[in-house]
Amino acid sequence: MGWIYLILAGSFEVVGVTGINKVNKQKNWQSIAILVGGFCLSFFFLSQAMKTISMGTAYAVWTGIGTVGSALVGMFIYGESKEWRRVLFISMVLMAAIGLKFIS
Amino acid sequence: MNRNWILVLIAGFFEVAWVIGLKHAYNFWTWVGTIIAIYVSFDLLIRSSSRLPVGTVYAVFTGIGTAGTVIMEMLVFGEPFQWVKVLLILLLLIGVIGLKVVTKESEDNVGAEAEGK
Repeated sequence: MGWIYLILAGSFEVVGVTGINKVNKQKNWQSIAILVGGFCLSFFFLSQAMKTISMGTAYAVWTGIGTVGSALVGMFIYGESKEWRRVLFISMVLMAAIGLKFIS
Repeated sequence: MNRNWILVLIAGFFEVAWVIGLKHAYNFWTWVGTIIAIYVSFDLLIRSSSRLPVGTVYAVFTGIGTAGTVIMEMLVFGEPFQWVKVLLILLLLIGVIGLKVVTKESEDNVGAEAEGK
């Protein structure tokens, strides 16, 4: 269950980051709600995940999912580049996260 | 050292502080401290990344956060040291930092994305 919480925490972090981007473009209450709601849920699920997963592993994977998720949203929704170096780094993060899952 | 870089370092320390709080906070005041640490780390990060190259700021910040939590859990909270775990976290960190640095280089309009953390 801890890993499901961790994936949820990372996904809501992506929601929060999307909120930041929206607030930077246009400051209205919807954007602020996405930002605050996303990060609150993200921190909530991260604290749940850390009940069973060690702090260092949980934090690293949370950061990883957040960064990779934002990059994937950028690539598939906002048409950012899919150049090979980005794909390489994304696969490194995913492989490391899967590895950490197996040894934990 | 540039004053703004000192802000990045302090942001990194507060990042480690809230991660510890999220796992170990046990009463009202430790939770209040955790929430303040989250706020301070975000605020300092956003401030410093508006004046410094965002990709580098993010790399330093994530590096401190990740290394700091791993070191603290092993030194202070009695997690066992595992080579495989440390190497995997290092691989993950290289991936995260690489992705941020490459993204900043190739896209001019996603600065805000990197400020998300």
